[in-house]
Amino acid sequence: MSQLQVKDLQVQFGGLRAVDGMNFDVEKGEIMCLLGPNGAGKSTTLDLICGKTQPTGGSILFQGTEISRMLEFKRARLGIGRKFQVPSVYKDLTVVENLSVARSARPSVLHSLTSRAVRRSARVKEILDIVGLVNKQDEAAGNLSHGETQWLEIAMLIAQDSRLILMDEPTAGMTIQETDRTAKIFRKLSANHTLIVVEHDMSFVRTVADRIIVMNQGKKLAEGSIQEIEANEAVKTAYLGH
Amino acid sequence: MNSRISYDVIGFALFAGVILFGVPAILGYDAFELSTFSRYLSLAIVSMALALSWGTAGLLNLGQAATFGMGSYAMAMHLKLKASGESLPDFMGWNNVDTLPWLWVPFQSLTFTLLAGFLIPAGVGGLIAVFMFRARIAGVFVAIITLAFLVAFQLLVINQQGFTGGQNGLTGLAPLEIFGWVVDIYSVSFYYLVSACLLVALTLGLYLTHSKFGLVLRAIREDPERTRYFGYNVASYETLIFCISAALAGWAGMLYALVLEFASPTYMSVSFSLAIVIWCAVGGRESVLAAAIGAILVNLAEGRLSDVFVEGWHLILGVMFLLVVMFMPRGIYGLIVDAGRALKRQGSRAETVEYNPPDALLSQNRES
Amino acid sequence: MDVVFNQVFAGLSFASILLIIALGLAIIYGTMGVINLAHGEFVMLGAYATWALQTYAGLGVVTALPLVFLAVAAAGWIIEKVIVQRLYARPLDTILATWGIGIIIQQAVRLGIGPDSRFVQGPQWLTGNLQIGNLVMSNYRLFVIAFAIFILGATWLLMTRTEFGMKLRAVIQNRNISECYGIKAEKVYSVTFAYGAGLAGIAGALITPLFSTIPTMGTGLVVDAFLVVIVGGLGSLMGTAAAAMLIGEVTALFSIVMNDTLGRIAVLAGIILLIRFRPRGLFPSDTRR
Repeated sequence: MSQLQVKDLQVQFGGLRAVDGMNFDVEKGEIMCLLGPNGAGKSTTLDLICGKTQPTGGSILFQGTEISRMLEFKRARLGIGRKFQVPSVYKDLTVVENLSVARSARPSVLHSLTSRAVRRSARVKEILDIVGLVNKQDEAAGNLSHGETQWLEIAMLIAQDSRLILMDEPTAGMTIQETDRTAKIFRKLSANHTLIVVEHDMSFVRTVADRIIVMNQGKKLAEGSIQEIEANEAVKTAYLGH
Repeated sequence: MNSRISYDVIGFALFAGVILFGVPAILGYDAFELSTFSRYLSLAIVSMALALSWGTAGLLNLGQAATFGMGSYAMAMHLKLKASGESLPDFMGWNNVDTLPWLWVPFQSLTFTLLAGFLIPAGVGGLIAVFMFRARIAGVFVAIITLAFLVAFQLLVINQQGFTGGQNGLTGLAPLEIFGWVVDIYSVSFYYLVSACLLVALTLGLYLTHSKFGLVLRAIREDPERTRYFGYNVASYETLIFCISAALAGWAGMLYALVLEFASPTYMSVSFSLAIVIWCAVGGRESVLAAAIGAILVNLAEGRLSDVFVEGWHLILGVMFLLVVMFMPRGIYGLIVDAGRALKRQGSRAETVEYNPPDALLSQNRES
Repeated sequence: MDVVFNQVFAGLSFASILLIIALGLAIIYGTMGVINLAHGEFVMLGAYATWALQTYAGLGVVTALPLVFLAVAAAGWIIEKVIVQRLYARPLDTILATWGIGIIIQQAVRLGIGPDSRFVQGPQWLTGNLQIGNLVMSNYRLFVIAFAIFILGATWLLMTRTEFGMKLRAVIQNRNISECYGIKAEKVYSVTFAYGAGLAGIAGALITPLFSTIPTMGTGLVVDAFLVVIVGGLGSLMGTAAAAMLIGEVTALFSIVMNDTLGRIAVLAGIILLIRFRPRGLFPSDTRR
């Protein structure tokens, strides 16, 4: 069975159908890229999966469980993680504290009362190493540069260790070298995690995507490997507009 | 390893030393002065309770005085019943209440009273919290709801004269008797009882703020939405800190009723609630210890200055509060932290240029 | 039945006062997101200004209105410039700051003028009543109702038909983009705050013949006005007007069956329930968020 099954998913804002009858499956360990012009409904699709937006119709099955009416934190506990378009780290907290919040395998109040705020375990060191923030671990996240903030957010997602990770434009504002490094991290992540990535950078998509879905006006326009998508006439029309 | 903890522990130890040895020595073990000071210490507890919800989780509870008042009335009801002996409390007779209301009956028991003094405030705080936080009420609306609750609750207490003594409150109380010890508020041992309560409350507060619970609350203060996507049930975190804060306020209220030997609806007034916010803001809302010190300092100042400026004291308090909110939002605590940081920066510059900054320098930003 | 009709009329005149106070509160909150806890003190300042103008300059309540408006608006403008403007980035602190301002104004008046109540004479030409059957309507209260309608109309014109109103609405929608088009948001904020304060001052002037003028008079009124703002929803003048009517009438009719204290408690419970269940008011303006 697929890890994530989306059926007839639909959401309406006023008169606008932002997502209109989406159907797709994502397999375990897969990196699935969502493409499409602005306003196609890509971010909204991620919002619907993680619970930021409530659907007006359709269903979302995660590992066989219907989640489309669940509260956000319950979905997160099932194993769905989200990276937002705008970097959202806790600026008042230090880097290790940010990671400690993200390491939320046991998110209950009771457990939090009996554990220390920050535990510098081997795993935390390893994650800091991966993203190159070891020397900044006690710096307040608000003092980091834009690039470092992006890395911290990726580190937080690794620390959270969700089975399904939803990424909204993870490479926005990154240099070519940083994008390459992110691609490598993603490939490594896909050994244990499933990823859905919204991305505009086509070279990045070429490197990481196992499969691509192109959206337009809230609907699925095309689905397939990178070669299939690049050869698709409908996709060309949608992007070039004729 | 974690300098923030060590600073807090040192600060706590210093504070405990001053409260336990310094203050009694300075006041010359004078019973009257010590009783005045124990009043400040009980107010320090309600101030640090506010720091827990406001400073840590960003939930500005303007109704803190309501839960404080509940604690004080719980204690006063017990002592009033003791003072009245077999007969009904005097004010009930004046209001044509001829049997003891059911609400009063359990307060004949000391054990029940001591438990009710924080369990009732905690329960009420918890109900309000569930009511608000399930609906994801945040920011200014938490302040408005708690303020409205406070005003309504005070009106209710004043209105129900036959049950509460109305505007006059509960006066003519008997002294408290625990395990055969008759508590004399003009005694050194009473001072130590209140000090011990404050120190226990502070220990609890420091423990909470340094646990993962406190960290998650700070995360919620900054971005509740994001915190949900990590799987934390934000509403239950907020609810628990609200309960704890209300329980501590109730505890403080019990001590306050003991010190002043009466309970009055003015303890639940808007201006009393504002006073709590002022103490907390002056000391520094981010630290429970600083908030407690803020309460003691402002009340000391009030004790000294309100004799001189009888009429103008509230005006001075208002101006002081406005200035703190505008120019010192982190209170005295913020000033000390910033000063410490500046000193360290200078010190490290004067020393050698190290390749790896020492741990203490790295962690200086943790306070922010 | 006569009691009910007379209460309906009393409710209407109370609603008119509430409307003027609530309009100021709503405009300030709607524009800059500041819950102005000093608003009741602006009402009080207006009342004292009227008293002072009558006692020392012999002006009648109605003649004093424009002067009172300007005086309280000026006070509001200064407070916005000196204090509130520094706190826009910290919304929770604006509550505390305006609370502090309220205390300072109240205490200053108490110390400067005294805590006992002052009396203001109503205008001579508005004494007497209009009587229809058993319904007795005082001419002054009728004037208050008419004046509130005038204020509502003037505010509506200001918001929709003037350049300032257009700028104001632009800043409400999106401050940053408005600034890119050369609108000085800070200036808009100052003027809005001053206008809101001025309206509170007018309300204060209008109630002087009906209420006793004391330093704490604003506190109770602002709670009701706040309820009006919440019920009415933000950004809708007509919503505020409808809510003021509703609250005024409900308060007046409840006072027949309930004592005052329980009525106050009911109002406060109403505020709490509304914030919880209808945070955008009963008449929300229709915008996509």
